[in-house]
Amino acid sequence: MTTLLIGLSLGMLLVLLSAGLSLIFGMLGVVNFAHGGFYMLGAYLGFQVAQWTGNFWLALVISPLIVAAVGAAVEMLTLRPLYGPNPVFQVLLTFGIVLLIYEATRTLWGLGYQTIAPPAALADAVHLGSVEISAYRLFIIGFGALVAAAMFVVLERTPIGVLIRAASANSAMVSCLGVDIALLRTGVFAFGTGLAALGGVIAGPVSPIQLEMGFAILIDCFMVVVIGGLGNIRGAVIGALLIGLIRAYGARYLASWIDVLTYSIFVLVLLVRPQGLFATAERRA
Amino acid sequence: MAGINRRTLMTGAASLLALPALAAEPDAFRIGGIVSFSGAYGIIGQSMRQGVEVAIQERGGTVLGKPIVVQWEDDETKPQVAVQKATRLLSSNVQMFFGAIISASTLAIMKLAEQRKIPVLVTASADDRITGTDKSRYAFRTSGNSYSENMSVVQHLKSSGAKSVYGVAADYNVMRDGWSLVKQQLGAAGIAVAGEDFPPVGTGDYAVIVDKVRQSGAQAVVVLLTGNDGITFVKQAGAVGLNDKVRIMGPNLMDELEAKAVGPASIGVQSAIRYHFTLDNPRNKRLVERYRKMFNDYPDPFVGEAYDGMSWWLDVIEATGSWDHDRWVDAFEHSTRADSVDGLKTMQACNHQAVSAGLWAEVVKGTAPLPELTMKILDTYPANVLYAACG
Repeated sequence: MTTLLIGLSLGMLLVLLSAGLSLIFGMLGVVNFAHGGFYMLGAYLGFQVAQWTGNFWLALVISPLIVAAVGAAVEMLTLRPLYGPNPVFQVLLTFGIVLLIYEATRTLWGLGYQTIAPPAALADAVHLGSVEISAYRLFIIGFGALVAAAMFVVLERTPIGVLIRAASANSAMVSCLGVDIALLRTGVFAFGTGLAALGGVIAGPVSPIQLEMGFAILIDCFMVVVIGGLGNIRGAVIGALLIGLIRAYGARYLASWIDVLTYSIFVLVLLVRPQGLFATAERRA
Repeated sequence: MAGINRRTLMTGAASLLALPALAAEPDAFRIGGIVSFSGAYGIIGQSMRQGVEVAIQERGGTVLGKPIVVQWEDDETKPQVAVQKATRLLSSNVQMFFGAIISASTLAIMKLAEQRKIPVLVTASADDRITGTDKSRYAFRTSGNSYSENMSVVQHLKSSGAKSVYGVAADYNVMRDGWSLVKQQLGAAGIAVAGEDFPPVGTGDYAVIVDKVRQSGAQAVVVLLTGNDGITFVKQAGAVGLNDKVRIMGPNLMDELEAKAVGPASIGVQSAIRYHFTLDNPRNKRLVERYRKMFNDYPDPFVGEAYDGMSWWLDVIEATGSWDHDRWVDAFEHSTRADSVDGLKTMQACNHQAVSAGLWAEVVKGTAPLPELTMKILDTYPANVLYAACG
């Protein structure tokens, strides 16, 4: 049971990160290598807010808002001129952006590790029979599920969600209907980066905040997006949970083989169903 | 020889004879410093650089009558980059190399340096091969090695009364070999091994392994993880209160920097440490005072070892009065540092590994002006139980 709960907490953290990446990938067609950088920036900003205010919850709100604003600015100033037939320029640009974020973070916070203390109410372990798990991990599971559910509702049940899904399928047609596609893209990119930052703050009490954290998590994020399917939030959630559970059960029974197991699933999906396990065929004009 | 008189010939001959002497004395003593200034080990590179700066400043910035110039290069924690940087530094006529941090980079630099008879001073890398199977006439290590740090763990466990131990070692050579050594020594001492795990380097989450340790019934867990991995393990162990039931310890697992990154959950964690700023000896007091003036902080182990190794090395070079690298090597391999920051240090001629007593410490709450979480030295182990016999 402990392993299951740990796997779910790992998965939910990945959901926060990869859902935004999947949305950006699906709607904008941008392979956002800077996604890990925004995650790292979110963690550092969360640390700073928590240090100034002594309040984890404020950090959880303020950091994603700041990073979303940064993401919006990045999209408007750098990505917008590069939308077009050749995605290579976007890839190179996002790679440059992550290096910029890295250097800026290093300049502001230095080379050392930082940490965010969990809120006092979540600082202890919870004992449920033979299960012993930190209360904060249970919070990650609940919070991640809430965010995933909210995203699902917005995308599937609201007018803005319809617009985002329609623009993913055919942005030109949506533009012809009078929708400001440029603004929509900026909004999606900002939302995606804000989600990444949210993931960074959530990760702060669990892992050390350090300059390499964005690079380390990015591979798992891309695996989730590939497994789940581009722009498919449901697929991203299931893919993230799958990766999280593999890592947890792998650590329980085959610690040396965790990476081999995880990457094998990734390669298998690419060979058998490269569009993703949960991608649905959509009619395109 | 028409047109050349005897005086001209004699002058020319004298000039030729003088050339080697002139060539042997460069305009500066150049050190090629190759450490990591970026990535996960960037903070360590920064510390090592500071330690060297203090050592150089303390002697007025000169050796053999020439100014000391350090050319620092970032190996990006990659051996192939370390070799590229070392090759470039060789073209700048460096007199020695200092570094690296990761053992793979150090070993790569040693191979290159040996071809050119350039000394290498190692104060961070712990791999036993550096002064073991891959030792070089021109490479010296003045800090502890992996064997000595793991033997510190063994010494502590033997005296702690622990009956069973769990091992968590990162899945690469140095750590696996370290755990094998500890396991073998524990077996000989009648201490049972309750379990073992070898997670890959960079494992982001240790919660499952922490739970396995908890369920194993072990009284202690030996953690052979470094840097980010070690911090993550201790942090996640603290989240479930593992350290209330199981003693957490390791070779080089904790110092003030890592304790700060973990937070209060690090209190009670024990570790072998190479150096500590509280050591009560005149040289260490001078180091701490100078370092605090320069950097407004307490020196960490990487500062201490870099300072100690470099100041020892430069003193020995100064005493030779020569620019001959082989004379430096011969002098250093037979030298003893009676007043090092760690106490008595002796360089072993057979393998160029310095030996000294080892420190065992625990994270405790500090009181101002000490850091909030600081290391308290609990024990000192003599060199003869920590280091393998030379030869």
